[in-house]
Amino acid sequence: MLATIKKRLKSFELTPYLVLGLALIILVLFIAYPLSKVVFNSFIKLGDEPSLKNLTLANFSQFSTSNLYRSALLNTLTVGFFCALFSLLIGIPMAYFVAKTQAPFKALFLTLGTLPLILPPFVGAYSWILLFGRQGLVNYFLNQGFGFTLPDIYGAPGVIIAITMSTYPFVFLLTYGALVSADPFIEESAEIMGASRWRVTRTVTLPLVIPAIVASTLIVFMRAIGNFGVPAILGGNFYVLPTLIHFQVTGFFNLNAGGAIAMVNVALVGFAIVLSQWVTAKRSYVTITSTTQAARTSSGRALKWVGTIFCIMVIFFSLLPHLTVIVTSFTEGWAGTRYPTKFSFRNYRRILEVAMTPIKNSLFLATTATLIAAVTGTLLSYVNVRKKFKARWILDLTIMLPFILPGIVVGVAILIGFSSGILILSGTWMIMVVAFFIRRMPYIFRSTTASLSQIDVAVEEASAITGASWLTTFRKITLPLMAPGILAGAVISFSTLMGELSTTVILYSARWKTISVAIVEYLFSATIGPAYALGTILIILVLSAIALANRILGRKMSQMFKMV
Amino acid sequence: MKQESGKITLSIRNLIKVFGSKHAQVQALDDVSLDIREGELFTLLGPSGCGKTTTLRCVAGFEKPTGGSIDFLGQDYTAIPPFRRNIGMVFQSYALFPHMSIFENVAYGLRIRKTPKREIEERVGRIIQLVGLEATQKRKSSELSGGQQQRIALARALVYDPKLLLLDEPLSNLDAKLRVYMREEIRRIQQQARVTTIYVTHDQEEALSISDRIAVMHDGKVSQVGLPDEIYENPNSIRVADFIGQANFLDCAVKNNGVTALTFPSGEEIVLETGSDSIRSFTRQEGILFVRPEQMKVMAAADQANTLKGEVKVILYLGSVVRYFVEIFQKTTPQEIMVDQDRRVRGVRVGDPVDVRLQGEGAKLFPSNQKNQLDQA
Repeated sequence: MLATIKKRLKSFELTPYLVLGLALIILVLFIAYPLSKVVFNSFIKLGDEPSLKNLTLANFSQFSTSNLYRSALLNTLTVGFFCALFSLLIGIPMAYFVAKTQAPFKALFLTLGTLPLILPPFVGAYSWILLFGRQGLVNYFLNQGFGFTLPDIYGAPGVIIAITMSTYPFVFLLTYGALVSADPFIEESAEIMGASRWRVTRTVTLPLVIPAIVASTLIVFMRAIGNFGVPAILGGNFYVLPTLIHFQVTGFFNLNAGGAIAMVNVALVGFAIVLSQWVTAKRSYVTITSTTQAARTSSGRALKWVGTIFCIMVIFFSLLPHLTVIVTSFTEGWAGTRYPTKFSFRNYRRILEVAMTPIKNSLFLATTATLIAAVTGTLLSYVNVRKKFKARWILDLTIMLPFILPGIVVGVAILIGFSSGILILSGTWMIMVVAFFIRRMPYIFRSTTASLSQIDVAVEEASAITGASWLTTFRKITLPLMAPGILAGAVISFSTLMGELSTTVILYSARWKTISVAIVEYLFSATIGPAYALGTILIILVLSAIALANRILGRKMSQMFKMV
Repeated sequence: MKQESGKITLSIRNLIKVFGSKHAQVQALDDVSLDIREGELFTLLGPSGCGKTTTLRCVAGFEKPTGGSIDFLGQDYTAIPPFRRNIGMVFQSYALFPHMSIFENVAYGLRIRKTPKREIEERVGRIIQLVGLEATQKRKSSELSGGQQQRIALARALVYDPKLLLLDEPLSNLDAKLRVYMREEIRRIQQQARVTTIYVTHDQEEALSISDRIAVMHDGKVSQVGLPDEIYENPNSIRVADFIGQANFLDCAVKNNGVTALTFPSGEEIVLETGSDSIRSFTRQEGILFVRPEQMKVMAAADQANTLKGEVKVILYLGSVVRYFVEIFQKTTPQEIMVDQDRRVRGVRVGDPVDVRLQGEGAKLFPSNQKNQLDQA
């Protein structure tokens, strides 16, 4: 009896349970605990004792009584709707042109079309004002030449344009991926049955990519309604929920009201998810790809040139703000004059004197959080792919929740969770690392899951039967084969954390200012030069990290971003 | 040399394996018991889903049996993790380590066993020679052809002298000609290494050609265990007869007194002068006659006695034999049978009426209630 128990214990696999325990700790301590505190506190008035008898709907009733709240909610929905709509109108045609016509520069379009996903949109947001604002470059020339000006870009139009230009790549890349991976024989079989090219597109091609389109629309909507930086810089009086949260939390130190607004923000996300699931419920297709033959392309001349011009225009406009940032950073004075006059390094000299700390802080925080996320994400994805267990939903929640929650909501939750109670981290670098870590771990989880799914289980079994223990197999076989996935996920995590703003803006303290906070502060005080010099440094850091990873991995950027 | 007797090294007792959750259970193994003898090549043969691979994976330790036990050399192996079993295994996909060179792949098991460096080099060199490869040691595994990868996988599994070698459909990824060549190679290497081997395949020709003994499996159960010729010539059920080789099955009424008279539904009667034991000792009134294509003869119709009358529907030229598809019982319940001849029968073409003669020695009778074992496909 005792012998059998001992034997059982010896062959008992502990690892999955340890990793599951780790996931459970992360889920409970860093996600469930802060979130439940947010929920609870949002029903408590500021200043009241957080207890059951003080529960009230006061924080929520603001949405019916306060004009500011009501318009912020409406504005958020407007931004979400139009950003999704415009991203679709831009992304789908682009995907079709690049995937299905013989347009030139396809690889270039894919790479440049990925850039807006990495470059933080708030950095370029102010450029829209410099270029298209009332006093901007374009209006100046229009007024001089033709005697009219464009409508004001400040407020809703600017916010929607700036966000759309940073979100359309989701639709473009996901739809493109679905289009090229669809089995060309399916289209050919429709054609051989007598369907015209246009009919094939309408009845076969597009329906097959609808799941990808819906998924990308959902991502765009979530990104748009969670974006803080762009409305903070371009919005003015045009408040959206994230800027309203920021206003309550940092303006009035009213975390309870901030939490209530955050919950409404989350409710919108939840509504969008339910809606998208309802749309795709009956539209999930499994196609068996029997061939490695590439998708067929149309050879129509007109389509090819229309497509090429369209792609060039979109990419030009989406990168224009960041180009403006780089050019402007090397000039003195723009705000006063119509266009840059004198080129110099003055902005950089100034930055190097006063803003080295934010750069170092960002590097430290992003690196630390990425390393922790890489280790945890790799372990979790290993257990998720390789071990079967019933409590998998714990993993799913741990991965999915931080992924779908807007950054500022995570910021509020972490701040509420760890500024009092069992673990106090507020004001330290650790609170930022915690928030960064739980927000980016899903990236690494997804990318390592993808690379792990490519590894034949038999390879690991071959190692085990040869005599290697689990640890040896993991170290010598699994880890080296997963390395590309880990690196890809880590680089995406690092480069997006370098310019992270929406979580940071809630959690940073004077000692731990980051590049993004410094840029926003400069922009708010209309000190464009230093802001853009810092922005340029940020862009260069992010792009070099990506370029280095591409070099090591030997793959294209657009492939790395498949799962973001 | 067949290993009729020999020490039993691996003993599988009443193995049961159930997959799935409470709601959707699949019984993969249903009371499987097998004894494998020292040094033999023992094949698990059966259609996909019959449980042969599950049995192999239980022996390897990758699956934990729901019930039963596995004893190896007198030791209870049932709960021992794979890496402590000292087994060599070749996987269907070869599962070479893609990030290692050929040498590193083969040396892996020796490194795990902390073998001295010089000895590793020597033993890897020796085993690579045994599997018929040389001068490829520095290359990456992805640069090799399928057959070469196969040999490396075999070398990797044998280099540390395992007590047991498991082969999981090792030839299924090779093209037809290489498959035949490699199965001979595997047999040769296995005999030189004198390692007890369990071989899983769904290819009956492969199984018949290289095995010392074969276990035919169906639906998670062992249908028959025996020498290859026993399995082919004397299957113990319609299921086995149908799975191994080509077979014809004919319903008939049986009268057994001295000679055996078979009456077919068409009314035709055949008297078998000679017959196998199974025919002689058949006591039931109704049966199913099992006869292999090569145990019949096709002749131009001449209204001969003791033959079945039919019409040639298709003739396939297969190289070593010519296969005639003959429709018999045309007036009542038409049925096509296969008859193999060494060469073309003169004057017999598609559409011609023919006489088909049965030879009683190789034929068998099965009880009619086994009819549901016939594969409907």
